Amino acid sequence: MTTTEPTAPPIETPPADRVTEEELARKARRAELTSRWFWRILSYIAVLAIWEFALLDIFSFLRGSPLDPKLLPGPSEVVATFFEIWGEGTMPAAFQATLTRIAVGFGLSFLIGAMIGILMQSKWFEGFFKDAVLISLSAPGLIWVLITAIIFGNRPLGPAIAIILTTFALVTVNVSEGIKALPKDLLDMAKSFQVSVFKRNRQIVIPHLAPYLFTGLRFGFSIAWKVTVLTEVFSSSEGIGFEMRISAVLFDMSEFLTWILAFFFFALFLEKVVLEAIERRYFRWRQAVTAT
Amino acid sequence: MAEIRIKNLHKEFGVGEDKVVALEDVNLDITGHSFVSIVGPSGCGKSTLLNILTGIETPTSGTVAITSDGHVAAPGYVFQAARLLPWRTVTDNLMFVQEDRSEDTRKRCQRYLEMVQLGDKGTKFPGELSGGMQQRVGIARAFSIEPDVLFMDEPFSHLDAITARALRRELHHMWDETKKMVVFVTHDVGEAVELSNRILVFAKGGRLEDDIQIDLPFPRDPADDEVAVAKAHVLRKFEELDLLAS
Repeated sequence: MTTTEPTAPPIETPPADRVTEEELARKARRAELTSRWFWRILSYIAVLAIWEFALLDIFSFLRGSPLDPKLLPGPSEVVATFFEIWGEGTMPAAFQATLTRIAVGFGLSFLIGAMIGILMQSKWFEGFFKDAVLISLSAPGLIWVLITAIIFGNRPLGPAIAIILTTFALVTVNVSEGIKALPKDLLDMAKSFQVSVFKRNRQIVIPHLAPYLFTGLRFGFSIAWKVTVLTEVFSSSEGIGFEMRISAVLFDMSEFLTWILAFFFFALFLEKVVLEAIERRYFRWRQAVTAT
Repeated sequence: MAEIRIKNLHKEFGVGEDKVVALEDVNLDITGHSFVSIVGPSGCGKSTLLNILTGIETPTSGTVAITSDGHVAAPGYVFQAARLLPWRTVTDNLMFVQEDRSEDTRKRCQRYLEMVQLGDKGTKFPGELSGGMQQRVGIARAFSIEPDVLFMDEPFSHLDAITARALRRELHHMWDETKKMVVFVTHDVGEAVELSNRILVFAKGGRLEDDIQIDLPFPRDPADDEVAVAKAHVLRKFEELDLLAS
């Protein structure tokens, strides 16, 4: 009996213009990004439109009596005031004053917080600092702002101490968590390959702690901003908070809102440009992990 | 030539009622270009022995000496999980365990990456590779320091059967080519028989129960009669020692 070999089906070769999986994934990512930005921008447009055209009437209706348009200027007027103040040159000086306070206060807070985080690895120091950390985390920043304003007046130490007391615990908690989660398996691996302690610290401990430090930095910084502006509202003669107080005292809502706007844009710039750039640069490996 | 001498090695964990004996009075000599497998049930002290040999843990009593031509030998270690630094690229993971960062060293690392067929993945982060590829990076890392002795702790147990088989072949090929000593921990008797010329059987409580020579030519096919007979022989020893039940 003879059998005929079944002929093998021809091997399909992909056509040259076939879309690869990678391209499809890239397209999907781009579509996702476009839609996210669309909704984001739409939310800004919606808020600004309501503010410009309807907010005065809504508030007047809610109050039961008409509201003076001067007390609620629309976004177009606020933007005009923004450029006016920018032209006067007050803005850079105010920002410089506020930023210097944040840099000094939060710089110190970061060092102190990290140091306490390291010390808290010992049982005794953990007992010593535990409640202080808890109090700092839960107490409203306003308390420290008022206390330091009363004690230090407009001396530069006041805001620095207020920032330290409100933010050190955030850094402490993050550093402490990071140290607790040190990758023992990687450290053992390095030890078995007789890698020096210095190199182990530099290439395992520090990169492992970096995301924890960064989280502490990010959250701590956002609170340091608010606390600094508050201290300036109460007890300073320069800075963004001080400018806000002056415009509030003068009932100049347009200027008051302008300072809020400037503050908001600067915070957005820091978050979206500076911090995200740092994240992209130093945590590229995490994106690589999530991409797979 | 590399040499391992273990004398009266004893290791305990915990104190008082929680005390656990991981290794009990182990005496052992391994020399030359041998491939030694350590087999036994879970908790028989296999991994502890490797951790002591590589300096991760210290013995409670007894001595361990690993030398190569009279000098302290350089060990390489392949772990059960790859243990790569996730924030370093594949090449940098290999460079991490090197003594210097010279161009020659870099080339050597690249050569070993090519040996495990990952020559084009040097710039990738571990998170971008599959589990099998990560394990191969772990193997290349251990080989890249050109160690006198290579320790491997169940390196293929997390992998699927096909990848594990391919890697076993690669490992055998590299062992043959580099003439290194390999100490290989596994709980898979078939794997031990396929790869090694000496099998050490450990029982619970960390006692070295048997020392079996396997004098069959390489490469060994698990389907081969002689290999199957050798495997049955080791399993019979297990039965005699009542290790299967435990």
